[in-house]
Amino acid sequence: MTSAAVIALPTRRVEEWKYSDLRAALGDEGFGSGFARAALGPLPQGLECFYLDDANRPAWVTDVYGTLKSNTVSAVSLALAKGGVALRVRKNQAVEAVTLNFSGAGHVRALLVLEEGASLTLHESLSGSDTRNIGFEIVLGANAQLNHVRLSPAAGAAVQVEEVAITLARHARYHFHNAAFGSKLSRLEMYIALEGEGAEAHLTGVCVINNDHADITTRMHHAVAQTHSTQFFKKVAAGKSRAVYQGKVSVAVGADGVDSRQTAKAILLGSQAEADLKPELEILADDVKCAHGAAVGDLDADSLFYLRARGLSENEARNLLLHAFLEEAIPEMALGLVLDQVNDALERVSA
Amino acid sequence: MLEIKNLHVKVGDKEILKGLNLSLAAGQVHAIMGPNGSGKSTLSYVLAGRAGYDITQGTITYNGEDLGALAPEARAAKGVFLAMQYPVEIPGVTTMMFLKSALNAQRRARGEKELDAIGVLKIVRQKAATLNVSEEMLKRALNVGFSGGEKKRLEILQMKLFEPKLAILDETDSGLDIDALKLVAEGVNSLRDPSRAMLVITHYQRLLDYIVPDRIHVLAKGKIVAEGGKELAKELEAKGYDQIIKDAA
Repeated sequence: MTSAAVIALPTRRVEEWKYSDLRAALGDEGFGSGFARAALGPLPQGLECFYLDDANRPAWVTDVYGTLKSNTVSAVSLALAKGGVALRVRKNQAVEAVTLNFSGAGHVRALLVLEEGASLTLHESLSGSDTRNIGFEIVLGANAQLNHVRLSPAAGAAVQVEEVAITLARHARYHFHNAAFGSKLSRLEMYIALEGEGAEAHLTGVCVINNDHADITTRMHHAVAQTHSTQFFKKVAAGKSRAVYQGKVSVAVGADGVDSRQTAKAILLGSQAEADLKPELEILADDVKCAHGAAVGDLDADSLFYLRARGLSENEARNLLLHAFLEEAIPEMALGLVLDQVNDALERVSA
Repeated sequence: MLEIKNLHVKVGDKEILKGLNLSLAAGQVHAIMGPNGSGKSTLSYVLAGRAGYDITQGTITYNGEDLGALAPEARAAKGVFLAMQYPVEIPGVTTMMFLKSALNAQRRARGEKELDAIGVLKIVRQKAATLNVSEEMLKRALNVGFSGGEKKRLEILQMKLFEPKLAILDETDSGLDIDALKLVAEGVNSLRDPSRAMLVITHYQRLLDYIVPDRIHVLAKGKIVAEGGKELAKELEAKGYDQIIKDAA
């Protein structure tokens, strides 16, 4: 029997899920009846932690938990998840890096609150080839700063979905990097609301997939004036793969002085690989600077020949070019964390 | 060293080389001159092994071996070097990193020991100085934002670094001012060696004032139509390609 929770999930007839047929990939089982886990690395000083399956949620959790903009999938995780973790950094505290790992099958939730002037570096990682639905809410207070690096290794036949919903107050800054290596269906959806003047969000990402699927869908909402966002995503798809980027930038009425850029590029290896890159703009203000671009191509034949004529083997040449292509979209803060995985994945697609 | 016999080459459906013959011995510098569209670049690409340049008839023998059967990287490892007319720009790969990768790939293919970063840097610095290739250029992405002259100087730097047995220079003079041309020619002349052969492909006689060839071949419509000593370049300059091609017919 198909449960109500499964029926609530989108089919590909829903526009935003056109390239990721969640219902079909999951089948009647949905996300199953289990609960995925959220685990933290060593807790740095200044970081508060509350496990969501504990009783007596404190006010800083209940005030915001479940309030951020969510899609239907995240609504399902909100309704069904039992556990997960909530994190807080108090006003003006600067906290070093913490790791947050999601594992196991089923639904799980996370909440992160950075109060005014607080800062944190978050290393998010996913493990295991389990079918999983993560709902993650992030609240950045005025002048707060979050560096967020997310690593999503290849997960075989699993269906993995995550929604990250973020709200930024005045002059808050959010830097995000995603390294994704795909699975039967993998999707990261981000809803970012720039709600205070001077708030900034900068997203980068690389994706290397081989006979897999990886979707990143972003909705960047400039609610007020003088907000700034950039997005820069690069993808390499080999075999029977599908790489998706859907990025919708919206600028509200009166949000003048907004500056927003989005770029997505993909290299396809082989005739069976597909990339769907869809940047979109919805501008209701007058004085804004918005730019977007997307490009899908093959490895450049001139460059390949040049490198081979100088002695590099075909594999070495391809690898060097793909590496150079991707590295442009990996910021300093993520290099040490994702480079080995990127190299390994490139080895696999070049072999 | 290089023996080309009755070479026919197709690019797509179009035959570009139509029975080209050429013989080049070690220690010699030969020039190939010809008008636009005569097949000069096709000859350079087919010697370096570019995909899409299909040999339909004839042979290219290099040191007794069938060159046409080898992959581009195998040719490089065996000492074939093509200085390209349009060196490609590769963002994200620094020039120095490229030089190290290429040099070590060739050494590996020849069963020689690879050099570490410091070892490569030492050799590159020494060769770069005479070509006015700055440290700053070596740190930049390969050919990205380089001027025409800088790109060509980097090609010659690679030639000095790889020490090829057969060097082919495809219109290395194009887009160079006179100072850059002299610098490039000095680089080429410094590599003249009894064990090395060079094929200088050019449209204009000007380069041959600085790189004096042992022999000149005139290429027209896919064939060598005239041959001579270095004085042929002057004759071409005076009479023009049309007249020389007509005289030869």
